[in-house]
Amino acid sequence: MSTDKKTLLNELQQAVIEGDGERAKVATQKCLDAGIAPLEAVEFGLRDGLKIVGDRFEKLELFLPDLMLAAEAGNQVMSVLEPIITAGGGESKSAGTVVIGTAKGDIHTIGKNILAMLLKLSGFQVYDLGADVPATTFLEEARKHKADVIAISALMTSTMPGQREVVRLLNDVHERESYEVLVGGAPVTQNWATEIGADGYSETASGGVALALKLVAKK
Amino acid sequence: MIDFFEITKRALNGPYSAEQDFAMKILVPKLKAVVKKYGIKYDPNNPVPSDDKLADDIFQAGLELCAEVGCYCKDTSRIIKFTPEEIAEALRDAPFAPVYGEGADEKAMSVRRPESSEKPYCFLGAGGGISTNEDVYVRMVEGYGRIPKINSVTCPTITKINGMDVVAGSPLELLACIRSVELGRAALRRAQRPGLPIMNAIATAVTAAGKITGSSFGLRNTDAWICGFTSPMQVQFERLNEVAYILARGGKIVGESGEIMGGYCGGPEGTAVINVAYHVLSILVLRASSHLTFPIDFRYASNTSQEVMWAVSTSTQAITRNSHHPILNLTYVGAGPMTEMCLYEIAAAHIGRVASGGNIEFGGVAKAITLDHFTPLEPRFASEVSHAAAGMTRAQANEMFKLLNAKYKDQLPNPPKGKKFQEAFDWDSIVPCQEYVDLYGRIKNELTSYGLKFE
Repeated sequence: MSTDKKTLLNELQQAVIEGDGERAKVATQKCLDAGIAPLEAVEFGLRDGLKIVGDRFEKLELFLPDLMLAAEAGNQVMSVLEPIITAGGGESKSAGTVVIGTAKGDIHTIGKNILAMLLKLSGFQVYDLGADVPATTFLEEARKHKADVIAISALMTSTMPGQREVVRLLNDVHERESYEVLVGGAPVTQNWATEIGADGYSETASGGVALALKLVAKK
Repeated sequence: MIDFFEITKRALNGPYSAEQDFAMKILVPKLKAVVKKYGIKYDPNNPVPSDDKLADDIFQAGLELCAEVGCYCKDTSRIIKFTPEEIAEALRDAPFAPVYGEGADEKAMSVRRPESSEKPYCFLGAGGGISTNEDVYVRMVEGYGRIPKINSVTCPTITKINGMDVVAGSPLELLACIRSVELGRAALRRAQRPGLPIMNAIATAVTAAGKITGSSFGLRNTDAWICGFTSPMQVQFERLNEVAYILARGGKIVGESGEIMGGYCGGPEGTAVINVAYHVLSILVLRASSHLTFPIDFRYASNTSQEVMWAVSTSTQAITRNSHHPILNLTYVGAGPMTEMCLYEIAAAHIGRVASGGNIEFGGVAKAITLDHFTPLEPRFASEVSHAAAGMTRAQANEMFKLLNAKYKDQLPNPPKGKKFQEAFDWDSIVPCQEYVDLYGRIKNELTSYGLKFE
């Protein structure tokens, strides 16, 4: 790769890291004008930038608002690239589709928000259903978006049964096999995940991303 | 100070904002701006700083944040705003030295100051810990009642009644709340401390209905109800409904805030500043008799890391130097009972908090998320360390924190779970097993060799 191209991709990457959507959009256009392939811009500009953001978040060098801004900048980049990739017969690679929310009765959202952002940074299409989400809503939204993964967070022991309710509902409507169910939240454990028949549990948000990637790859 | 009717009015009629805009377009930029304006900077070499100017700057930054941002009502999507004059008035009129408990256990909680030799108020027990069943709950609370330095008790959460999972918002939540109060009161009587206040009414409650219903089954106005904010700087009607009920019956509220370091507030600097803002909001919005704070490190889901220590220390100094409204610092340790790490974390955290001027709540053992992984010995140890640390200078506490933190910091990502109450304690006599007594004695001796003077 020429030095000029590297410089342009670095500029794109930096704009994403700094969460500057407008700058990222301009940098993307400059990459295209210089003849950089759209998928190359996605791979080396966007994905690498988002990975750096995720890594720095883990080290407490960047914080949740930075993740959100970087994810938004990523959306801006894709708004330029996606039509071109699609028109060229290509497909922008998505890691998979996740519907995520906090279990019925639970209004705590920060842990769920962090996982949602890290999933986006890792290339997932994420539909965030918010807090206090009934089992039926998880099911309806998962159907609507053809989700690969349903991720349910609970911060309180008395809202953990809301996670079990989702699994029970999926079984009742004979759609359990259609989705990978991930559970998490402070009081949630692997034992609980096993007991309710979830497909996976992670103590940390970054572990949750790794697990989602693994489960989707297996599907 | 403006009254609760005015708070409710503003919650219903204040300026509208979408929830995400409140966080990302109002709170985050203002928080960054005040941190920058006052030049607040985290110093990894001094987790317990001795810098009065830094503390006062953090206090001013917190007041500005509070005035410029306000408190978001999730139910109405409206912001409860305050003028700088109303904030000053709230600090002037805020309760001081509230009295909790009855008879021999009646005691006032006063605001301490940094380096004060006054013994901290000790609010001890489960700190959100979760118990398997009612038998464990009763034995645990009786064990807490027998801690010599305890001033008020934090009861565990009951996760099952009659063998059924307690589901939030269902009749089981209400029944579990009733049982929590009845059993807690009975357990304290068994411990011969009938007047000891239950200060975390009601841990098992998720909804206002649960908390209010349980309250009619044995809570007294000399106890206290915990009502909390939702992160970041938000409140729900569920909590305001509880406040309305508690004020009407003449009870006392402990206003709770637990911001997540790494979340919307950013790093240690933002966490310290937002803690001050919560202090003021707790007085105004939650009508608190005292303020309970527990910033959490998102990386570890505990709060004994060096970065959190700095945020807690500086904000505690900021508040205790500038407000007469008492605060309590709640600690969550990563490690479980009967481990060295657990006792080192407790010692490090409480030395730093007490030298900074805080009263204490302890505690959350094994992050308070593992069933039955807490015992009465950890809060007892916390109270003994806290009494011994009263009068210590911030510089001494800083050195001691660094020494102790070095012993556990590498284990924070994967702390040992330790033993269950049933394994670490004798079930019938509610006393620790010999192995635990030996470990506790050894760590106390080690702390003594570092200069801590136990009573």
